[in-house]
Amino acid sequence: MSDVTSTPAPVTVPTPAHSPTAPAPRDERLAYRGPLQRLLIRPEIGAAIGAVAIWIFFWAVSGPFGTAGGWLSTLDVATFLGIMAVAVAMLMIGGEFDLSSGANTGAMAMLTIMLIRETGDLGGAGLNFWIAIPISFAVAMAIGYFNGWMVERTRLPSFIVTLATFFVLKGLKQGLSKLLIGQIEVGDTRDGAGYEFWRKVFAAEWQRNDHQLESRDAIYTIAILSGVAMLMLALYEMHFAAREKKNSGGLIEFLIGLVGVVAGVLVLHRTDGSGGNLLGIVVIGVASLIAVHGFSTWRFQPVADRGGLSLNSAVIRSIAIAAVLGLVAVIVANAFDANGPESKERLIFPFTEQGFRATLFGLLAIGCVVMVMIAATQANRVNKTTKTAVSLLLAAVIAGFALFIRSQSASVKFRSEAFGVMLAIALMVACWAIVGFLFAERRSVDHRADKIGSRLITAGLTLLMIGLAVKLLFTTDAQIANKIPPAKLSIRVVWFLAVTAAATWVLGRTRFGSWTFAVGGNQDAARQIGVPAARTKTQLFMIVSGAAWLVGLLIAFRVNAVQAGTGNGEEFEYIIAAVVGGTLLTGGYGTALGAAIGAIIMAMSQQGIPNARWNSDWRSLFLGAILLTAVIANRSIRTRAEASRR
Amino acid sequence: MSSTPLLELDNISKYYGNIVALRGVSTSVNAGEVTCVLGDNGAGKSTFIKILAGVHQQTEGSIRLNGVEVMFDSPRQALASGIATVYQDLAMVPLMSVWRNFFLGSEPTKGLGPLKRIDKEKAKSIAKAELAKMGIDIRDTEQPVGTLSGGERQSVAIARAGYFGAKVLILDEPTSALGVKQSGVVLKRIIEARNQGLAVIFITHNPSHAYPVGNRFLILNRGQSMGSFAKSEIALPELTQMMAGGAELKELEHELEAAAANGRAN
Repeated sequence: MSDVTSTPAPVTVPTPAHSPTAPAPRDERLAYRGPLQRLLIRPEIGAAIGAVAIWIFFWAVSGPFGTAGGWLSTLDVATFLGIMAVAVAMLMIGGEFDLSSGANTGAMAMLTIMLIRETGDLGGAGLNFWIAIPISFAVAMAIGYFNGWMVERTRLPSFIVTLATFFVLKGLKQGLSKLLIGQIEVGDTRDGAGYEFWRKVFAAEWQRNDHQLESRDAIYTIAILSGVAMLMLALYEMHFAAREKKNSGGLIEFLIGLVGVVAGVLVLHRTDGSGGNLLGIVVIGVASLIAVHGFSTWRFQPVADRGGLSLNSAVIRSIAIAAVLGLVAVIVANAFDANGPESKERLIFPFTEQGFRATLFGLLAIGCVVMVMIAATQANRVNKTTKTAVSLLLAAVIAGFALFIRSQSASVKFRSEAFGVMLAIALMVACWAIVGFLFAERRSVDHRADKIGSRLITAGLTLLMIGLAVKLLFTTDAQIANKIPPAKLSIRVVWFLAVTAAATWVLGRTRFGSWTFAVGGNQDAARQIGVPAARTKTQLFMIVSGAAWLVGLLIAFRVNAVQAGTGNGEEFEYIIAAVVGGTLLTGGYGTALGAAIGAIIMAMSQQGIPNARWNSDWRSLFLGAILLTAVIANRSIRTRAEASRR
Repeated sequence: MSSTPLLELDNISKYYGNIVALRGVSTSVNAGEVTCVLGDNGAGKSTFIKILAGVHQQTEGSIRLNGVEVMFDSPRQALASGIATVYQDLAMVPLMSVWRNFFLGSEPTKGLGPLKRIDKEKAKSIAKAELAKMGIDIRDTEQPVGTLSGGERQSVAIARAGYFGAKVLILDEPTSALGVKQSGVVLKRIIEARNQGLAVIFITHNPSHAYPVGNRFLILNRGQSMGSFAKSEIALPELTQMMAGGAELKELEHELEAAAANGRAN
């Protein structure tokens, strides 16, 4: 109080707390982030979880969804939207919108066709494909450049500028086609020179039933199993603290466990009776535990202090709620007699009685599992022993539901597929819990382990992709004998994947990508520091226009006739896909992969709703719900990503 | 001072139409020294920086860099001549990581043609080392700048300017939005930068921040220079008084004293 009158003391400059030569002490305010936490703050994670949930939902309620054919056609539906969503996401990260992008796709399709069509009554220019395609590309670049130039020049919001471009394109499409050919539709053309070549580039297809591979299922099983195993080991490697001196006894145990797992898989593969299956499952379970325990003994630091089991009231409350939910789930499942054939006809809108029962049971069961997970998190605050006990309970609950589903359901989908996956998840949870009990978690950064982990993740993901691709692209004698419907992979899907991969690389690894984030995040700062902001934005507009050109050609080679209205209004779907995938509307944040996942989510709803035999009018309702959920979820993820490191 | 100063300003004036923003300001900045530009709001500090940073051009007077007369047409030109400006709120892109911000606009690359890409490892390790040189320990250069405190952000910007070959570093009110402790952090960085041989121009309206770090003080009031002093020629209370135009502050001080006395009586 007595200091008030004195002038403020000059700020003395504190001497450095530690000399520059001494290693910097660790900042105690920064908590170490484990691999799971790091995964949970990725921008795509909300979309990825949503995609998995929606996939499971449609898989459960509809027939063809989730089969190889269903998968490939979902991906094919996603391509046009996906390619555009990826490009639009890049532009949105750069802080701008392009409302002309939808109309642009149709314009490029029409333009290319008009350039190729014969002169005279058909109103075309009669060029061959080799000339027409570069010309339409040049036009696309010019449109993109114009958009960018106008936005930079006028400093108007791109919303307005590109809205104007949208109307111009819409009018040109309609007006010119009426003027030149007297109708608002242009048919495709096959007579130009070079058609065969370009058809291969833009519309080639791979018919699965033409390609047999008898070892398909073996390759698939091996690739998926070893892929999952690698991902799990990566998680362990990154989560637990490395031992200073490796324990080679553990390595031997690990190898024995691996051999056991292989033996179990073989037993499961070779036998059909339920006794053989049971044996296989038990062998796999025990061998997995041995392998994981061996791996951990080999590499990780054992834990010193675990504490005793003590359930506090929060944990008990969560478990009690879980128990009630689980009980209600079982009662509900028994209350409906939904296994009879007539239950497929009886409707409880919008489901059949069977579907209604499954959905209700599924929601309650998920609620129960989530409550046990919450209990595990709460138990983690008590001590290790309690955490392990609750985690084992979680594994038991999942396994219990798996057995219940097997006993209740008649369809193979649930009896074997869902059962198997759930049992595998229960096994993974149990392994994780036991290793977490015995070994110490990592508390500080370990670059070496992270490097090993990220290599394992890359290898694991590659194996999963190979496994899935083999399963999707090839067929076997048995399948043909069973008249499995044909499935085809179109080159459009390849384009989609290539564009996503290229955009991811550009955004993450190039200077242009860095500048994109900078001009979207804080344009003035970026300019100030020497980022060519105007050029970056113009290039982004040109990328979107180039994507529209690509999609336009894909459309032109796919359909018989392009309407003047093609693509109009779809620009909002691109923006929705990008936003669902975690791109920030205000710019500066987002990923290409997220936008691609967003597009797949939208394609799934488009395919899944009719597959489930609902009226496809409901799609908009579904989309609205997804959009709202996604935006809210993404915001909380972003807040966590930004705030948790303070 | 026998040698030519690094940067010399001679009788700089700036008019916006008939409005006099700055009139007849002269000072000099030496390498390895901090020149503080002090002034209350509206004193002409921002005009002064903008001329040095190349945003505006002076109407009269000359700027000499290493004894050679220069005129900056754009911020890029000023930057190319080694004059880097760190603005208080324009320094960083908050959602981008520390290392990306550090190298923004000048990323090191590897590979050729379409495969040209940012050399991430190199960029990260340089950013970490340069920040450590400034005494900033950032554990993870991947963390977004938005998670840093205001003082740390200014520090990163200062380190960046130094690394990219700035000879003159202009700091626009780096401490005005910061708390006492954070201000201390930034002042420490200013000293680090000075010790590394940079000429620092530190713009502030807080004399108690300027005095401990400054070698030379330029005081502006209503667009006019109240004089340029070496530290030996002036003490803190005088500095404060000159800045506010003397009399007014005296009055304020009396009022404050009276108010405080009242408070104590209660």
